[in-house]
Amino acid sequence: MHILLIEDDKAAAAYLTKGLTESGHVVDRAADGEDGLHLALTGQYDVLILDRMLPKRDGLTLVRMLRADGRDTPVLVLSALGEVDDRVQGLTAGGDDYLAKPYAFSELLARLDALVRRSRPAAQPPHHLRVSDLELDLTLHRVSRAGKPIRLQPRELRLLEYLMRHAGQVVTRTMLLEQVWDLHFDPQTNVIDTQISRLRAKIDRGFDRSLLHTLRGVGYKLDESA
Amino acid sequence: MNLRRLLRTSAVRLALRYALFYVALIALALGLLYWSTSRFVDKQLAAGLHSTADALERARADLDHGEFDAMVQAELHAGRASKLHVLIANAKGVPLEGDLEGWPPGLSADNRVHNVQIEDDLIPGRSEDEDAYWPVLARRLPDGDRLLVAHGLDQAEDLLDFIQGTMIAILAVSLGLALGLGLLQGRALLARIDALIGTARSIGAGRLNRRIPLSGQDDEFDDLAGQLNAMLNRIQALMTGMRQVTDNVAHDLRRPLSRVRNLLDVTLIKARNSSEYREAIGQAIDDLDEIIRTFNALIEIAQAEAGSFRGDWGPVDLSALAAEMAELYGAQAEEQDRELDVVIQPGVAVTGNRHLLAQAIGNLLDNALKFSPQGTPLRLEMSAAGDRVRVAMRDQGPGIPPEEREHVQKRFVRLDTARTSPGSGLGLSLVAAVARLHSADLRLGDAGPGLIVSFEIERASGA
Repeated sequence: MHILLIEDDKAAAAYLTKGLTESGHVVDRAADGEDGLHLALTGQYDVLILDRMLPKRDGLTLVRMLRADGRDTPVLVLSALGEVDDRVQGLTAGGDDYLAKPYAFSELLARLDALVRRSRPAAQPPHHLRVSDLELDLTLHRVSRAGKPIRLQPRELRLLEYLMRHAGQVVTRTMLLEQVWDLHFDPQTNVIDTQISRLRAKIDRGFDRSLLHTLRGVGYKLDESA
Repeated sequence: MNLRRLLRTSAVRLALRYALFYVALIALALGLLYWSTSRFVDKQLAAGLHSTADALERARADLDHGEFDAMVQAELHAGRASKLHVLIANAKGVPLEGDLEGWPPGLSADNRVHNVQIEDDLIPGRSEDEDAYWPVLARRLPDGDRLLVAHGLDQAEDLLDFIQGTMIAILAVSLGLALGLGLLQGRALLARIDALIGTARSIGAGRLNRRIPLSGQDDEFDDLAGQLNAMLNRIQALMTGMRQVTDNVAHDLRRPLSRVRNLLDVTLIKARNSSEYREAIGQAIDDLDEIIRTFNALIEIAQAEAGSFRGDWGPVDLSALAAEMAELYGAQAEEQDRELDVVIQPGVAVTGNRHLLAQAIGNLLDNALKFSPQGTPLRLEMSAAGDRVRVAMRDQGPGIPPEEREHVQKRFVRLDTARTSPGSGLGLSLVAAVARLHSADLRLGDAGPGLIVSFEIERASGA
């Protein structure tokens, strides 16, 4: 995808650009809010990564001006630790996302992916999801694999729905915690791992092919190809 | 304290203002007194002149010349002290009787009291300095002669002079008293303020343990000093806490940081194959992640203690949140063959920060799972009584001895029994900080057997 990175820290920008390029993306970089806004308004980007604190024009102001101009390019806001306040959260309610520094690069990639797909029209019908032979009917709350019904708890249903809507994508533990449980906190131990393995036991056990994969140190992926 | 500062104090200014006001008031009252006294004196003088004139007129009609002359001399003699002068003259002003040498020019005999200057040469044997305006009564007698009676003013003037002197003395004394009292008050006020300023200055210079002395009078200054001292205590506690955090952060992060550095150093010593590099980098990332987690937890504690989460304040359905947390950690309890007993009163709301409350309950669950043996049951309770909501976590582990219960709430504190299990020693500190932020106290108790950790928050009104 085509990414605009607006970040004034040269070293950080260099690492990010390198990482994103090596992950197969095309990156343009602006060093301040002014240039960033100009590029965002003139270029065609799939997603914007911008630092909260920028010289010349504050990151959040930039987003507001972009929106005022009718651009709905998704934005991922990077904020320094402890700056995640209601203003940022209000911003993310509009379909964007934020990430507090320091963050893991894999987290950034996963969130970019999720942001860009979210902004595209849904390929799946809204009430019936299917990945390989796993099916989820949201109106009837019914799950089946290869035609065999599977009984899930309400929370497991929501977890599965999120994974299926992001099938083929990497989702991280924090993303799940935020999106499925609506919690922003550090659970200390890997409670999410336990939840995932419980779900995996229900949807994968007894079938030849596993659908729910763990990517060590990164997160999970629901995918028909391993 | 110098005089200029003293004069600038509000007490002195107030005293000056009042002094001027009272002095003006006293001057007005004394002026009135003076005026009425002098009128009274004038009246008395006039009455005296009239009665003397009446007596002389009657005597002149009744007595023969010799007797009258003797009577006039007697009157004059009797009135010498009060400087009485009498003159009887014919219509042309030629003296017939009395002690004046002639009729004062321009004086009409209209039977009224006039203040007339009587020339010295009219009065025999009188020294010059007594020359003055005298009250004089002159009247026409039935036979065409004229009668003059005059009176010295000395006594009346003495009286008025005395009154004037007293007035000035009273004014001076009251002005002096007002000023003196004002200055005394100003000094007392300045002394109190100077104590405040002195303390503030030495605190400003870095001696944070200084406090403003109380006078013990329990007045508004003591109130102010008490409030300021309370504020200073809080600031000092925060500073100490901050310093402690910094020290602890330095201490706690130094080890993992140097571990990462050593790992990377050693990896670089000789050429290795790519899988060895990958492993080293992966290990470094894991170590750094642990450092970042510790760091984040510290910052969260610091922010909770500083109250900077207030922006995210709002109603929280604590029943639903506790149930969610129990469910989230329940899978882990199940994995450890434990029973997690969840007793939650539904529909209880509080006012607070949802994410922090989630973190606090999560940490309690996490601690219970970590520090009590596998297979033992756990219990999460949440119930409301009156306007209080109690959240309690029970385990059947080794518990914490009473003397350690305060201590373990501090940052980085880990009991010896817990050294081997993973963790940073920040979990319970964060719970305590979150509880304090929600005006609740974290309580650790004996669950007999095991540990019970609980806190009580105020229930949201109308819920």
